Amino acid sequence: MFENIYAWLMRLYPSRFREEYGEEILQLFRDRARDEKGFYRRLRLWLDLVADLAISVPREYYYFEPELIGASADQRLGGLPSFVVIEGGSPRPEALLSGGVLAIVVLSTCSIFLSQAGHYTPRRTFTAASSQSHRYKDSSPFGGQASPSGTEGGNGTSLFGRSIVSGRGPRTGETNNSESGGIPPDSSESSQTQRIEDARNGGMIHAAKGYAQVDAAERGRVIHAAVANLKQYYVHPEVAQKTSDALLAHEKNGDYDAVKEGGAFAALLTKQMRDTSQDMHLDVLYSQEPLPEHPLGAIPENRERYREYIEHNNCTFEKAEILQHHIGYVKLNSFPDLSLCESTARAEMNRVNDAAAIIVDLRENRGGYPDMVMLLAAYLFDHPEYMYNPRENTTQQCWTRSPVAGNKLADKPVYILTSGLTSSAAEHFSYDLKMLKRATLVGETTSGAAHSGVFHRIDEHFGMGIPEVKPINPFSKSDWAVVGVEPDVRVKARNALETAIKLAQARLQR
Amino acid sequence: MPKQKLNPLPSAAFQILLALVDEDLHGYGIMRQVEDQTDGRTRLGPGTLYSSIRTLLEAKLIEEVDVPADARPGSERRRYYRLTSAGRKLVRSEAERIADLLRVARSKKILRGAHV
Repeated sequence: MFENIYAWLMRLYPSRFREEYGEEILQLFRDRARDEKGFYRRLRLWLDLVADLAISVPREYYYFEPELIGASADQRLGGLPSFVVIEGGSPRPEALLSGGVLAIVVLSTCSIFLSQAGHYTPRRTFTAASSQSHRYKDSSPFGGQASPSGTEGGNGTSLFGRSIVSGRGPRTGETNNSESGGIPPDSSESSQTQRIEDARNGGMIHAAKGYAQVDAAERGRVIHAAVANLKQYYVHPEVAQKTSDALLAHEKNGDYDAVKEGGAFAALLTKQMRDTSQDMHLDVLYSQEPLPEHPLGAIPENRERYREYIEHNNCTFEKAEILQHHIGYVKLNSFPDLSLCESTARAEMNRVNDAAAIIVDLRENRGGYPDMVMLLAAYLFDHPEYMYNPRENTTQQCWTRSPVAGNKLADKPVYILTSGLTSSAAEHFSYDLKMLKRATLVGETTSGAAHSGVFHRIDEHFGMGIPEVKPINPFSKSDWAVVGVEPDVRVKARNALETAIKLAQARLQR
Repeated sequence: MPKQKLNPLPSAAFQILLALVDEDLHGYGIMRQVEDQTDGRTRLGPGTLYSSIRTLLEAKLIEEVDVPADARPGSERRRYYRLTSAGRKLVRSEAERIADLLRVARSKKILRGAHV
């Protein structure tokens, strides 16, 4: 029956093509149908065939056209051009009808599959420096990821970190930091997301897929350590109790017995903790490589390498210039350590001080230090403004030190460019300025890396992130953890600059 | 007959030429070989495959050959294809062009890992 369907669909091709290769094509279909059995492979076969038809049928008609045109130009009758029809005309009505039916079937099938796909809880890997118990921000300034040269970031075995599987689901667009040219990632959290397909290239396949096995004893140890940590550290004791009870109940029911891979086990624990606590900042992490017992950030060599890196990279200010129409453009690829980069940051902001509007490009910004967030935000206000940070309780630090002397940007329109890579401190900056209605976000939803937990090492391979403070979010119930920051104007990241320029121009012409 | 431009050489045509470097193959054999040499990333659909084959035949980069003696007896009659000397020359020059690009990419350090 399937062969008949495909034979019928082949009538979409021009007759000449069918005559030449129809039998061969059917034979190829029969070969594939014979070799590709089972639901998944058969589905893949049909998707391939439909995609192939969609591409090759129009092309077959298209390729006849040049000849048709060329032939008519050469044919002259009594000195006048004449037309010669080579192919038997446009597609037949039944071919158009079958094409229409096919399109409806394909669209319906895709819709059904999408709606039936269920909840996908992918794992993501990231590298982390960790200790028995320390804040993410206290560790390696490189977050255990890319080397300063940007040449080691892809192999997943950089000097500073190790591969980890987290239960936190990735958002689209998260990539290996090496794609951003070795820019130091969010050093405030020391954790770094990485797309699994990138990790595969970097030899982290085992960690990414969670192939490493965990036995019952280790599972039990991790569960009980997680429970103990929750009770001791979690900000809400009653929620900690409820979450712990849920984990123990799952253990008692034998729900973990079948989970033998480290990554999968961490993902399951994370999901269950979040389901019970409704707190998206809770995480269980798995690392195939042994986790260090002390924070890497405390190692002086790492600090020195970070310093060298940012000195050679202008504190990750890639650009600060005035574009046409007096639009200022600042491309910042991390929020570097204020103690090392304050003068550079101020100098770069001064370069765009005369702009009529400003575009801050954070599309490749994976985060950094909250102090730098506060410094740059200070330029955008003429009065101290409260900047919400899910990692900190309200302190003096959460108010911008506005106004900045000599600054002219406080009342200028602000556009922030975002992508799926934009993470952590860059999301902090974007989220607050959006909520304060101070900036228009243009681009894609950000990665959703709030990283507000404190890291607790459980054993050589497992650790967990637990929020120990619960600052009140003045804007809404949730921050950007997991879900990311939504742009105001959604466009592909690669088109964001162009769109923002147009928006700024339109605004300035009012 | 329609002329599909081969300059630049389309990816599908290049893959087909590469697939035929070692041995003569029929359509399905070419499809499988392409799938293997791209680690499963590329599965040429029937329309794309035969459209490309036709173009390559017209450009005399491949030719149709008799069924090889070692083909399974009693199996369906199939058309086998072989690389011509012009096709071999073209696939080599295309591979060299890509190798040059790779060298440039390496020198700019945009590739991850030392193995690529």
